[in-house]
Amino acid sequence: MDGKDSLWGLFQQRGLSRRSFLKVCMTITGILGLSPAMLPKVVSAAEQNPLPVVVWLHGHECTGCDESFIRSQSPLASDVLLNMISLEYSDTLSAAAGEPFEHHLEEVMKRYEGKYLLAVEGGVSTGNEGTFCMVGGKPFVAALKEAARGAAAVLEIGSCAAWGGVQAAKPNPTNTVAVHTVVSGKPIIKIPGCPPIPEVLTGVVMHYAMFGQLPPVDSQGRPKQFYGNRIHDTCYRRPFFNSGMFAEQFDDAGSKAGWCLYKLGCRGPETYNSCGNLRWWNGLSYPIQSGHGCIGCSSNGFWDNDHFYDRMPGIPVAKTITNADTIGLVVGGAAVAGVAAHGALSVLQKSKRRSGEHEEVGGPKA
Amino acid sequence: MKRVVVDPVTRIEGHLRVEIKLDEATGKVEDALSSGTAWRGLEVVVKDRDPRDIWAFVQRICGVCTGMHAISSLRAVEDALGIEIPKNANSIRNIMLSCQNVHDHLVHFYHLHALDWVSPVAALKADPKATGDLQNAVLDKYSLPLAGPMDFNFNAYPKEFPKATTAYYKTVQDKIKKIVENGQLGIFSAQWWDHPDYEVLPPEVHLLAVAHYLNMLDRQRDIVVPHVIFGGKNPHPHFIVGGMPCAISMNDMNAPINTERLAAVDASINATIDMVNSFYVPDVLAIGELYVKKGYVDGGGLAKERVLGFGDFPDEPYSGIANGEYHKKLLLRCDGVVENFGQGLDKAVYHELSAQDITDPAVLAEGVDHSWYSYPEKGKDLHPWEGDTEPQFTGPKEGTKTQWKYLDENAKYSWLKTPKWKGKTAEVGPLARYIIVYTKVKKGVIQPTWVEKMVVDQIEAVSKVLSVPPEVWLPTTVGRTAARALETQLNAYISKYFFDKLIKNIRSGDTSTANTEKWDPKTWPEQARGVGLTEAPRGALSHWIVIKDGKAANYQAVVPTTWNACPRDSQGVHGAYEACMIDTKVKVADKPLEILKAVRSFDPCLACSTH
Amino acid sequence: MERGHSKQYYVFSPFLRIFHWLMVLSIVTLFTTGLYIGDPFFIGSQGLEPTYAVTGRLSMEIMRFIHFAAAYIFTVSFILRAYGFWRNKGDRLFPHFWKKQYYEDLLDVFLHYTFIKSSHKPCLRNPLARASYVALYFMVFIEIITGFAMYTMIKPNSWGAKIYGPVNQLLGDEYTVHIIHHYVAWLIILFAIVHVYMAARADFMDREGEISSMFSGVKFLPHEPVDIGDITDGKDSSVRDRKHSITG
Ligand code: HEM
Ligand code: HEM
Ligand code: NFV
Ligand code: SF4
Ligand code: SF4
Ligand code: F3S
Ligand SMILES: [Mg+2]
Repeated sequence: MDGKDSLWGLFQQRGLSRRSFLKVCMTITGILGLSPAMLPKVVSAAEQNPLPVVVWLHGHECTGCDESFIRSQSPLASDVLLNMISLEYSDTLSAAAGEPFEHHLEEVMKRYEGKYLLAVEGGVSTGNEGTFCMVGGKPFVAALKEAARGAAAVLEIGSCAAWGGVQAAKPNPTNTVAVHTVVSGKPIIKIPGCPPIPEVLTGVVMHYAMFGQLPPVDSQGRPKQFYGNRIHDTCYRRPFFNSGMFAEQFDDAGSKAGWCLYKLGCRGPETYNSCGNLRWWNGLSYPIQSGHGCIGCSSNGFWDNDHFYDRMPGIPVAKTITNADTIGLVVGGAAVAGVAAHGALSVLQKSKRRSGEHEEVGGPKA
Repeated sequence: MKRVVVDPVTRIEGHLRVEIKLDEATGKVEDALSSGTAWRGLEVVVKDRDPRDIWAFVQRICGVCTGMHAISSLRAVEDALGIEIPKNANSIRNIMLSCQNVHDHLVHFYHLHALDWVSPVAALKADPKATGDLQNAVLDKYSLPLAGPMDFNFNAYPKEFPKATTAYYKTVQDKIKKIVENGQLGIFSAQWWDHPDYEVLPPEVHLLAVAHYLNMLDRQRDIVVPHVIFGGKNPHPHFIVGGMPCAISMNDMNAPINTERLAAVDASINATIDMVNSFYVPDVLAIGELYVKKGYVDGGGLAKERVLGFGDFPDEPYSGIANGEYHKKLLLRCDGVVENFGQGLDKAVYHELSAQDITDPAVLAEGVDHSWYSYPEKGKDLHPWEGDTEPQFTGPKEGTKTQWKYLDENAKYSWLKTPKWKGKTAEVGPLARYIIVYTKVKKGVIQPTWVEKMVVDQIEAVSKVLSVPPEVWLPTTVGRTAARALETQLNAYISKYFFDKLIKNIRSGDTSTANTEKWDPKTWPEQARGVGLTEAPRGALSHWIVIKDGKAANYQAVVPTTWNACPRDSQGVHGAYEACMIDTKVKVADKPLEILKAVRSFDPCLACSTH
Repeated sequence: MERGHSKQYYVFSPFLRIFHWLMVLSIVTLFTTGLYIGDPFFIGSQGLEPTYAVTGRLSMEIMRFIHFAAAYIFTVSFILRAYGFWRNKGDRLFPHFWKKQYYEDLLDVFLHYTFIKSSHKPCLRNPLARASYVALYFMVFIEIITGFAMYTMIKPNSWGAKIYGPVNQLLGDEYTVHIIHHYVAWLIILFAIVHVYMAARADFMDREGEISSMFSGVKFLPHEPVDIGDITDGKDSSVRDRKHSITG
């Protein structure tokens, strides 16, 4: 691919040994959560595959996903950008701007037709003919469709691209949708998270760089290796959950002792992400470790699952907020009272019926 | 007269389009237009939501200045509900604010702005040995030996130093060569590398800066470790109304914050100080001096006429913002407006901008004359507490709704509103903060805190290096970039200062991080309103909330990039981007690098600006 | 008493009856443990180490274990119910939504329960009860699929997760699934309150052996029930004079 080298090629150019190359392959195998038996495949992938061309588009987003991408430690963002992929178009990092930049994109799309990887960060605004999100004087939705046409595969970077994101929360004034709602007929992989963990982002790219294909996905189209488990099932606070030891309020004794945040609304029990095992900054921390529950930032529609600090959403009832259990108790109590009253009336009715039966022999008529 | 369009403007955050009317013969920009071309409607999205959740929504206004909108929102809600956060929470938030400033600025310079000044192509001509020597010279000449108070300084020696060897620069140069020879430039593709401005600097400076571009790309992640420790992640760390969720205990390894965690924060702050002192500040000053010496002192625009700030870094907790208490506790009192700084300190005029002022609709308001919104009453600007966000897209001047040629400078043309101080536009940002603090101290309006003293010392030190007075070099494109670097150094020490404060307070036995007295909405008044102020990386930021029956009845954000990149007002008076473009000379009409350099010196964040 | 001239109708198979009582037990268990799971509190001495706290005392782990055990018992008992459905006509007393008669009878029962009519037509199972059981089975179905959708995802690559996992997508996301599971649990309890009352009331009002029918399988009715056709088929093997012994 136009002088593009494989990873092994790059090692040779730099005069690095085969041994160090194999060592890198081993690390990569580890990072990707692959079994050691996969090593030969990793090696041959790294020897042969040319660097994939990546086009990175921005829709309705906050650039938090780019920021996360460059925070990656293993692999380092510089290694990804210079040695693993060829990032030919990115609003955030590319040197060029304006017309020459758009022209370059057209060239890339032609030259690498069917071969480039399309990374999309952000949701797709479809309201008012897409005019809530214009790029280069055209609606982003149009640019996206055009770029998707020749793409080998599409990466939905972050919860905005994968689900619509914060702007798609109610009432979704710009009518923003996920990328896969407007793009089809391509392998599409979701990398949700707001933002996703840096190493998850680069991990997917790295998988593609090495194996020339997208990593195995779950039923929702997320890479299994990173989104296979609920945070709750990998959380270091799980023993406290099991023991029934919960922080009841922020900054109480339970919070200081690092007890489970379930009662402060933690969404770990419903959220699929690597925060519990991989964590952020290669194991340094994650929201729960810092004392705040997970808000479910990699889940579909999590924004509208507010209020974030209750396990059961509040139900507004005449100026106050209550919840399902209170309402259940009230309605249950009312039901008990109701049946008791009904019972009393029934007793009355029966005695009336009895006295009636004496006159009206033959029992009740149909 | 030629009309030149640049869309998209890249190496910024979000979707920005600029158009200029250029006199090709003289290179003079006659008129300029700046347009934010995307709107997400987050002010509408957070309406009717629980005020305790809103920080998380509005935090997603921006992932670059992450945390800023969250903290502003928390401050607004706490102001409305009368919540005073604990001391530790105040220190922790200040550490998170300052380390965010450092990170944002450093990444802006090396990864967003640098390629306007230096080119990898030009770096190929450099002599690696001379570059190594240059590195030593730069460190010698441009390091500013200034520091803040550092009571707990366990850093045995500076850990982050630039390499100054021939071998290092040769390796980097070889890598660039390989990329260029392959003909596949990746992110370096399609730029106007042949623009004459890339000849202002010698090849060695290009190589040095490109090497640091790569080096800092690998190192920047360590600057925001405090976010990961205190907030669990970055971007978008977690917070709570009433303080911080990261409970402190010195008895428990399971505690979110204990000695080990604090040590990690300390190591990060130390590394940050070193990175700023030995890379960022010297690099910027080295480049800046060469530019200023060659007469590049344009791009000032509105900075010369009017700059505005709100002030930040409350030293201690405060009982409210709208009641004026916040302003009494600040370490960085850049609250106020300075007019005519471009004419020198003597002619400069300082105007107070008190809490009372900002809550006054006659002082602070936003207009939509040239914005794609409609207001209830045409032509009447609205104070953010009464603010309204109702989209009204009208299309371009030439072209179609979905295929623009030129936008219409005489009608609506941007998704940004136009924020105004007493009916006038103003520039905000590091440059504004530096001008305001410098003016206030020099005019004796305030007795400087250590932070403010450092600001003045920095400005004076740089004026000496450049041997021109502040009013000449500060309100320019170079000055805006330099002020940001100086502020980064300042913020690194602010992190350290609040880290020390946090330790001392914990040592005194206070481990409290959250005030949950008013956590329950039942304790709230039926109706309340509040304002949250911060000095975000790009300038003065304010969030405004009206709470009714436990929900947000109205929510408005007035954002730094909105101040700077706004469309003109009803009188045709320009915002800072437009004014700076008009104040910039263009050498090659269809390669307006100077315009982009000037605009990028603001560190544009369009997701922020339109939200 | 007046029972003298009533007839005995064999309605419920033992499979249904066993299922019913297993269901009663498991639903009560599921509901109480479920509520605990939804809003847990600490039971036992408060130590800082979960290992000490959990030993021998009620805890989230144990509550969840009981909940899941009950859920399995509950689910498995449906097999009995299904078997009864196949074997015995009386286990098939479904509402005849498609018949006009059904709605007329429904109105009749409704008027009785609102005390407008002193009695309703005699039935083996009145149309309102029939509808309410369908509603309950629907709710129970929701509980099972939402419950297993949450439960099986502990092992996302298991076959259980492959079957139930898609429920999470179908209903939006797993948080929504947990909400639905919780709300429907309350609806089931509301059903149970009314249902137990209705059974007791029917016994009291008409002495037709309502409650005991869930033990014995037979009901006693003085008049021929209008829905006799649902069990007899003309052969009449399930209708006996009450003096005869009970079979089945
Ligand atoms: C076979 C069926 C059922 C299964 C597999 C099942 C499973 C589950 C699971 C996995 C949970 C979440 C536990 C956790 O968060 O760790 C749960 C919670 C709960 N279950 Fe069930 N359940 C079933 C049936 C029922 C029934 C029939 C009821 C009630 C009548 C019930 C009531 C509850 C309640 C109230 C909760 C708490 C909901 C919450 O707030 O999370 N469950 N159940
Ligand atoms: C002490 C408590 C209970 C008693 C005495 C009782 C009694 C009865 C009786 C007599 C019937 C037959 C009604 C008829 O067809 O005429 C019945 C059916 C039924 N009961 Fe209960 N019940 C009790 C508790 C419950 C509970 C807690 C539930 C579930 C929440 C339940 C669910 C059902 C269902 C689903 C049927 C219909 C059976 C079928 O046709 O599959 N029962 N019960
Ligand atoms: N403008 C802006 Fe921000 C900043 N700094 C926020 O308030 O960048 Ni995204
Ligand atoms: S997913 Fe989150 S972090 Fe990424 S662009 Fe969207 S809002 Fe920003
Ligand atoms: S903190 Fe959250 S994820 Fe962790 S165990 Fe508790 S509920 Fe589960
Ligand atoms: S909020 Fe997001 S970062 Fe992880 S812990 Fe929850 S998925
Ligand atoms: Mg606004």
